[in-house]
Amino acid sequence: MLRPIKKTCFSLLIIFLPLCGNSQGVQLDSLRNELEGHTLQDTIRAGLLIEIAGEMTYSSPNEAFPYVKEAIAISEKTNWIKGEALAHRQKGNLYYVLGDNLNALDAYQKALVLSQKMVNKQLESSLLGNIGNIHADLKEYDKALTNYRAYLSTAQSLNNRPDEIKALSNIAIVYNDTENFEEGVAYLEKALALAKLEENNLFIAAITNNLALAYKKLGQNEKALAHYQEAADLAQQIGNKYIEASALNSIGKINVLLNNYGMAETNARQALSLSKEIGAVEWESDSWEVLSQVFENNGNMAEALDAYKEHVQLRDSVLNEEKRSELTRKEMQFQMERQQAVALEEIKRQELVKNGYLLGAILLALISILGYFLYKRRRDALEKRKVAEFNAKVAETELKALRSQMNPHFIFNSLNSISDFISKKDIQQADDYLVKFSKLTRSILENSEKKWITLEEDLELMELYMQIEALRLENKLNYRISIDESVEPENTLVPPLLLQPFIENSIWHGIAPKQGDGQIDLLIKKDDNMLEYIVEDNGVGRSATNTKAKRKGSFGVKITSNRIDIINHLKNTNGSINLLDKTEGLRVEIRLPLELQF
Amino acid sequence: MLKAIIVDDEQHCINRLDGLLQDEGYDIEVMARCKTIDEAQRKITDSSPDIVFLDVQLGNNTGFDLLSQLDTFDFEVIFTTSFDNYALKAFKFSALDYLLKPIDKIDLASALQKLREQRNLKETSKKIDILFHNFKEGNESSKRIAIPTLDGFAMVDTNDIIRFQSDVNYTHIHTLSNKKITASKTLKYFEGILESNTFFRVHKSHLVNLSLVEHYIKGKGGHIILTDGSKIEVAVRRKEELMKKLNPGLES
Repeated sequence: MLRPIKKTCFSLLIIFLPLCGNSQGVQLDSLRNELEGHTLQDTIRAGLLIEIAGEMTYSSPNEAFPYVKEAIAISEKTNWIKGEALAHRQKGNLYYVLGDNLNALDAYQKALVLSQKMVNKQLESSLLGNIGNIHADLKEYDKALTNYRAYLSTAQSLNNRPDEIKALSNIAIVYNDTENFEEGVAYLEKALALAKLEENNLFIAAITNNLALAYKKLGQNEKALAHYQEAADLAQQIGNKYIEASALNSIGKINVLLNNYGMAETNARQALSLSKEIGAVEWESDSWEVLSQVFENNGNMAEALDAYKEHVQLRDSVLNEEKRSELTRKEMQFQMERQQAVALEEIKRQELVKNGYLLGAILLALISILGYFLYKRRRDALEKRKVAEFNAKVAETELKALRSQMNPHFIFNSLNSISDFISKKDIQQADDYLVKFSKLTRSILENSEKKWITLEEDLELMELYMQIEALRLENKLNYRISIDESVEPENTLVPPLLLQPFIENSIWHGIAPKQGDGQIDLLIKKDDNMLEYIVEDNGVGRSATNTKAKRKGSFGVKITSNRIDIINHLKNTNGSINLLDKTEGLRVEIRLPLELQF
Repeated sequence: MLKAIIVDDEQHCINRLDGLLQDEGYDIEVMARCKTIDEAQRKITDSSPDIVFLDVQLGNNTGFDLLSQLDTFDFEVIFTTSFDNYALKAFKFSALDYLLKPIDKIDLASALQKLREQRNLKETSKKIDILFHNFKEGNESSKRIAIPTLDGFAMVDTNDIIRFQSDVNYTHIHTLSNKKITASKTLKYFEGILESNTFFRVHKSHLVNLSLVEHYIKGKGGHIILTDGSKIEVAVRRKEELMKKLNPGLES
């Protein structure tokens, strides 16, 4: 099916009917009779129904729908896909003729899907042509061209010349519509050549007419005139008055332009009678227009006015119809666009919903992950704290154990001293020693229970200890305790008795073996956040000490070292013990984290 | 010449004290040396001594049992003990004098000198009352304390003490009855005595009764408000422990 007459842009574009016929009415009647005789719901009946609907396309499209509907139903029931496709295409044709592009497109698309399903290239390509027509009508020229080109290439591959001609012609029409007349002429010439090969006069007449119009638009009046003349002759020859009337009007218009008024009048009157014969109002109007111009030129103003009135009246009626159909088309287009917009909106909405869900899911996942990590971190922190607390407890217990280990060690050393006095029969000294020892022991017992005591208390203890040892060494021992000004003994907390093993070491292994008096200097100072004890003696030093005594002395030192390790672990500090050999004696430096009571 | 009685269930302890009292040439006559509380009770009634040296642990009994059996005290008491934290604490609460065994002659000398200087039988009787009260009650909630003041002793229920505030070598004690007692002891002394009670050293200069804390105000160390409306600064280093004490359930 070619596109119907395009009335708006150009006066004539040719429509190729599926079944061209003067014998239309006759054929329709015989088909109807045949249908009545064949009530069986089979493919034959379906085929008949489609044929009848086809015959009714232009005469009574509205009444043709029930036939198409039945054909579709039968085809579906009998699984006759081709029938179904043809029926849908016919339905599309009906809608198309009625100007309902939207429904037409829908029907064509259904038919196209079916044709592709059964791999019917012929049908498929003609449907592409139909769809192209709709796009062209909707001025969607790109889409129209795409469809027509597909139509053309299929027709060429199938060697279907009529379809090829139709495709070429329609492409040309699109070019002309877009005022690309050179391209239009080129395609029309191709179509014309093929039509001549085909010896199809209708096609030749229609194409020649269109060619003439294109030439006129290109300003080649002579060429246009020749082609119109040819078209008119050919139309007359095949009895197509529609084309003939159109061509004659066009010739008339050119003759007016060429000032051949006599010729123009002849053309116009001929066209007018033909138009009236076939009821082609649009051509009638054109004829009146030419006549009006002729009369005007002849000075026959009254007739000119009448003719002009006729022209305007008819033109208006045509235009009204055009306007109506244009309006309908516009409405269709609008509806289609609206539907498309709605569909797009829906797609967008669904996408939005989808994205929303996706976003929600991602968010939920993120929150879950975050929640898990927070939970895990908290749990880990709690666990860590528990472990740390447990470790601290273990360390405390160990410290306590170490503190209590200190006592027997010291006690027995002291008892040893008392025994020494008794053996020397110095009862008074033994008694003094014993009282002091009992005081010291009491203090140690009380204080070793504590984690921390004040430096003041600890130094009192150390002094008591050194007094006792001085007593034992019969005042061979002198001691001096110096506290740096920056240290507050009453506010500084220290682990109890930390120094005792080092003082003991200095006395027993440094000063006791020495000839003459010994001196112990105890210095306490502050260094940043560390408290520093320095125990210095002028004893014999480590090199002079025999290995046995060294080992014995290192027992208390080892305990202190362990205590400092634990404190370091608990407080995350770096307390340390350093033993430095001097030329005479030993210097011990102990560094502890500075702890203040307030 | 002061009359003295030594009560101790161990002969060598009696011997040592006896020896020290004689050697140093104090103006003291030891009237009796008793090993049981019954014997001691009799001797005290018979000879009405000026001083009783009383061992805390007497076999299955205690020196306190002896005192509780007596109707009146017209003598000074100096307790003797070797190592008994519980008893020591009781002595400190009641400000009664005591000597630790083995007895140091220097300690004995100072105890006797103090006794001669501030002999006050009425106060001794009060101190012994406090001792009995603290022992009888047996609970931590109602303890009484003899607070050494410039002119004697103030007997106060620890529940009535709101806070202690140090003032160099003195300590001011604020009580619920709005009384301010100035003690001739350092804050450290009271902290030592009241250590495991509801008292807590929140600051170098402040020992407070935690059961009378009304409010804690957050801060670096923060402040506490006590029942009497006094606002006491908390030392930064004491904050954590204070929180633990105020909220024992907080740390799990």
